[in-house]
Amino acid sequence: MNNYKFNYDTPCHSDNDWSDSSGGSKYSDSESSVPEWDSDVGDDGELFFIKTKSIICDNEYTTPLLENCETFKLRNNFKRSSIRRSTKGRIFRALRVNKKKNTNTDITKKNSTEKTKSGMQHSEEDNNLFVIIMVSRNMIFTSEKNCPIEKLFGLSLETHPDGRSLIISDFLIESRALYTPKVEKGYYLHKINDIEVNSGNINIVLDRVKEDHNNLKLTFKIPAEEFHINKERLLTSKNGIEHSLTMFLKESMCSILYICSNDTEYNSIDDKGVLYCYPRPFSQNFLYNTRGIYITLNHLAPKALGTSAPVTSTVLYKNVLLNVSYTIHYGNLLLIAFPNKQVDLFATNKICASIVRILELLHGSINNCFTKPNNVDKLDKLFSLIFVTLLVKDDTGFKCDGAVTYFEDLLAAHAVTLPLEVRVQVDDAITELEAADYREWIDDVEKFQRIYTVIGCCLYYTGHILSSHLQNEDLKEVNAYLRITGILGLSVTKELEKLVIWKEVFIYEHRNRMKNDGNDYRIPDGRWFLLVVGRGHFILATLMEAGGCTEEAIGVTPPSPFYVEECESCLDLLYEVGLDKYLATWFSSNTMPQVETAPENLSKAGRKVKDANSMKSDTILRTSTLRLPKFNSDMKKRHSSSEQINMGSSSATENVNPFGSHHSLYNQWYGTQKQYRHSSLDISYSEDSNSLKSNSEVSDDRVQGRRADRERNRLDSSGSDSDWERQDGSKASSSFDVTDIRKSLLSEIDHITTHRITAGDDNVLFHFIQLESTTGVLIAPVKNIESQANNVLYSHIIKTFRSACQRIHDLLQHSIRFKINQAPSNPLNKILIAVKEFGILFQVPQNLNQSTKRSSEPMQFWAVGRVFSEPEPRELYVCYHESIPQDLTEIAYLLSYLE
Amino acid sequence: MSVIVIAVASESGVPIFTRKRGCGDNVQFSTVASLHGINMFSKCHNLSIIDTQVDNGTILWKEYCKSVTLIGMATGGLECDLELLLSCVHDVMIFYIGKKELESMKNIEQIKRDIRQCYPILDYLLESLDPNIGINIHPTIALDVIQSILCPQAQQLQQVLDNYAENVTGRWACLTIHGNLVATSSDFHELDPREARLLLLLAASQDGAPLRDTPVYLPHMSPNATFRAVTCKLLADVFILVICGATPALTEIDEIVLRCWEGHAQAIKEAKLTYPRNFPMSISFETCILGILVVNISKRRCVYSRHLIVSSQKTRSMSGSHRTDILRTFYVTAARYLVSELKVVDGANKDLWADNVNETYWNSEYHKCHAQRSGNILCCVLYTATIPVHTMRFITSRIIQDLNTSKEVFW
Repeated sequence: MNNYKFNYDTPCHSDNDWSDSSGGSKYSDSESSVPEWDSDVGDDGELFFIKTKSIICDNEYTTPLLENCETFKLRNNFKRSSIRRSTKGRIFRALRVNKKKNTNTDITKKNSTEKTKSGMQHSEEDNNLFVIIMVSRNMIFTSEKNCPIEKLFGLSLETHPDGRSLIISDFLIESRALYTPKVEKGYYLHKINDIEVNSGNINIVLDRVKEDHNNLKLTFKIPAEEFHINKERLLTSKNGIEHSLTMFLKESMCSILYICSNDTEYNSIDDKGVLYCYPRPFSQNFLYNTRGIYITLNHLAPKALGTSAPVTSTVLYKNVLLNVSYTIHYGNLLLIAFPNKQVDLFATNKICASIVRILELLHGSINNCFTKPNNVDKLDKLFSLIFVTLLVKDDTGFKCDGAVTYFEDLLAAHAVTLPLEVRVQVDDAITELEAADYREWIDDVEKFQRIYTVIGCCLYYTGHILSSHLQNEDLKEVNAYLRITGILGLSVTKELEKLVIWKEVFIYEHRNRMKNDGNDYRIPDGRWFLLVVGRGHFILATLMEAGGCTEEAIGVTPPSPFYVEECESCLDLLYEVGLDKYLATWFSSNTMPQVETAPENLSKAGRKVKDANSMKSDTILRTSTLRLPKFNSDMKKRHSSSEQINMGSSSATENVNPFGSHHSLYNQWYGTQKQYRHSSLDISYSEDSNSLKSNSEVSDDRVQGRRADRERNRLDSSGSDSDWERQDGSKASSSFDVTDIRKSLLSEIDHITTHRITAGDDNVLFHFIQLESTTGVLIAPVKNIESQANNVLYSHIIKTFRSACQRIHDLLQHSIRFKINQAPSNPLNKILIAVKEFGILFQVPQNLNQSTKRSSEPMQFWAVGRVFSEPEPRELYVCYHESIPQDLTEIAYLLSYLE
Repeated sequence: MSVIVIAVASESGVPIFTRKRGCGDNVQFSTVASLHGINMFSKCHNLSIIDTQVDNGTILWKEYCKSVTLIGMATGGLECDLELLLSCVHDVMIFYIGKKELESMKNIEQIKRDIRQCYPILDYLLESLDPNIGINIHPTIALDVIQSILCPQAQQLQQVLDNYAENVTGRWACLTIHGNLVATSSDFHELDPREARLLLLLAASQDGAPLRDTPVYLPHMSPNATFRAVTCKLLADVFILVICGATPALTEIDEIVLRCWEGHAQAIKEAKLTYPRNFPMSISFETCILGILVVNISKRRCVYSRHLIVSSQKTRSMSGSHRTDILRTFYVTAARYLVSELKVVDGANKDLWADNVNETYWNSEYHKCHAQRSGNILCCVLYTATIPVHTMRFITSRIIQDLNTSKEVFW
């Protein structure tokens, strides 16, 4: 237990632990201490290292902001211990042996398995998910390994990748007749005599069962819907893809196929030019089987029909609607298919464009990626990751029945409006990394050639981009990579202890070098690497250049510990100024601009409805929040402050697990809580800042991390008289400066004001998205605004808004395309190119409107999108209450002040 | 912009016909074969290809009665509901040659010959998708609703039509002016709206003939037994249509027409004056309105007008066909979200959008469009660009109110 405790300590403590461990491995003495990720570096020099602080699984929805809350801690500790125990079980060794033995699964059964699985998917009833088998006590099966499970049940089991569940790996010959019609390999052993079993308690249960002389009742769980995917494991695994995952992907009908249409080149291959196909085997891949359709269409459309090449096809296969997207690369065809339920046509288009971007980024060109020798395993891994990210919701690990990716994520990197001071802090930290000022590490700067030039970074916090110093195209590609492989998703749902990714990439400029050869400026003939470092909820992606003014990278290039530490220290700096805590508060503050998350409080006239009851509770809560900071411990304060913002302070004790009831609209306390939130916002903020201040005071005297070391060094070396030195010293932040900055940050929170961008007395804005497609960044409220709101009505509005945005976006593209390209090769609809604004008025269905019984009037809200073409195309989507007419130009104007 | 419809016999792959409107080359035989081959091949693999999107266009495959495959293609940014178009085309085919014949596909050559008589209607349908390509004098806005004229005489004319239908032993009769439905017999609503639309198209395609009867199958009511559709020209651009049995003979009908309609020439002439405004004079419109499309959803009827203001001076605003095109495109791409009843298939967002969309609007550099639904009435209005959104909403809702309360409106 103790081993794990420090992970859940206050952030200050873990900060210390962390910086201590990393501080030991400086560049100067890097040979003495090997970084912990060193053993994970692959043969090709690439690295994928992830260490998360906590394992959060199961169904609770968790917001990162609340990970310090005590109930949360308890739950996690419990999980961990149970897993830990599982590794010590007596049974474990036997299971491992079995696993090895049973790798060759029999194929004849697979078809029937698939059938039942797909059959089961449609049945929602619980009782269909379980199969009960009675085993006679008199039967004793012969087991070679003397394993109690085999003896009693005639079954071999193995542990599921999640470390808990037990899966049937094989049947003994004598027992096969008993199980086979009903139970298949791959089913979970769920209960023995109605006691739930897992790898942790199976021995205890077996001991108890042995003494019991009644017949045994085994309950098996059908894994169809229960397939649990551990993305973290998937991200880091170096081995081939697990069979169960391949089966899962095969069932989900995600598929990818790359066909070389140049017959002469690859005709020797049996598969008629198919260079890559996933999931395999070929014969079971529907894209492979029906590739004739797509090849024919691809030939036919431009040549015989005079249209462009096909973009997407919609097909129906096994009663599942699938979208197949085409990407043509020098006559070769890349086909990607997704099920329409999870990835609709709109998303298919966007995601396939992202996939192409990623492939080009990682391999230089699509063709390279599929023709490079020994690349299949890597591609398999990449595509399985992508498919899993698209099909599986991050926080549950189960297959999702609807779209997983939101409209915002499909379009661009999600940014939020931040106060200027914070942006300065973030940019300062990144710029220092980019500046590559290593004087304090090396005595003789002039003689030392650097290994890499940092050509740009971007920083994410819980999946929101805070700052990007990358070129637009690079940002789009890096963002696509981080998003679609689920790395960003991981940083949202889990707190990372350490994440290091190192990959060689082919940047956009390099790939397109040939095309703009006439330019004065040319990038050097070098190599580029993407270094992603993560900590907590931060992800820092850095593009590095080798060659040119830096040393040339030759051969296999593993990550340099020095640069990894540089990036880590950049994140350190952010922790030092308390940005993590600040952002957690900021992201839950909903101030800039404020969105109305309690739509039922708006009356027909757009006025907030306030009855006497809620006003009363308001005042009570207000006094309690004011009292809190004085009496409680530091930790408690932090905890409560985040609690307040999310659900109100009093609920912290009453409601142990607020995430369980996702939509508590019908709860009694709900309405009052909401009222409180809006009216006493400023007060809760001043309280917040107090707690933050006290936190920072504690850490004030502790100077941490490499950055601090550096500052100390700098102060020590200030004896040197060089003008240059002095000037630099005053510019760069010394340790004294740091506290100053911290203070300025805090004072910023003190007088925080809520901003509104809609007209009218009360806020009628529900949501907004501002997209700049050229830069690849969009501004919208924080991702978890819905869970913050915790409101059925609000969720409905947002869901409707997102689906409306898709259509509006599609329509506005006509105008954007026309503006960019005045005479496109394919004629555009000349009416649609003129449309600048598209609005749709929705009505909330009656069943959702029950809470507002006092007004029989149906609630209506607008979803409006507008394109501003000057200077760069910019799209603004706004969702607001119908009561007050809004001008989108005005909203865009007000929003631009907040940026 | 172009639209192509290809019909192929599903089993044999024999092309039945290809109709095309718009620019671009004609589709070659080998292309038709390939397009059909794609569909056949996919069927062998238990996969059915539904549609394919190309840049600014769509290709759609649809098999009907397991015997005919229709392939539709719209390119060049043409906004239309291809699926609806193909089902209309299929209706036209049944209308002329009957379902049984179409299903059995026994004598393909005969069918190919028979189906030639649908070409005028098919071409009319395709032309109606783009007001710019056709030389059509009666622009059509929507495929799924019957274009009509609202006039105060409709009630009086209905009685005459009832009388006329009785005399020719038919049930369903209607009167059209310039291809727009003006009045119907009281049982006319029994016909499926799409059948009624086909009748109107029939009249429009038989230009000039004063009296003619055509054997027709009604795709929904009697796809296997023929009726007799009698079209009779009363005045210039005024037709009466009736569906009746084998008797009376055409010469008798001629006399009946004369007997029934003699006394009502004045009413018809008055009704004719409503064209091209298409709305009773008692309903007035603001000057900022450039065009209007009103849809009666339950009756599947619409009234379109772009001549709302009787003004002497020539305004230098956009041309008439451009206005029609804007409103048509607006109706097809945006306003139809408001009418979930008219959807042929349920879209992906059906549950989320159905019955929950009330209004929608477009702002463009040169004009604004606004659509509002109130109960059974959908009103799409084309405004000048200077009108603010909230004023549009106000004006549109007042129009709907006027239409609902006016005593001169008979749908």
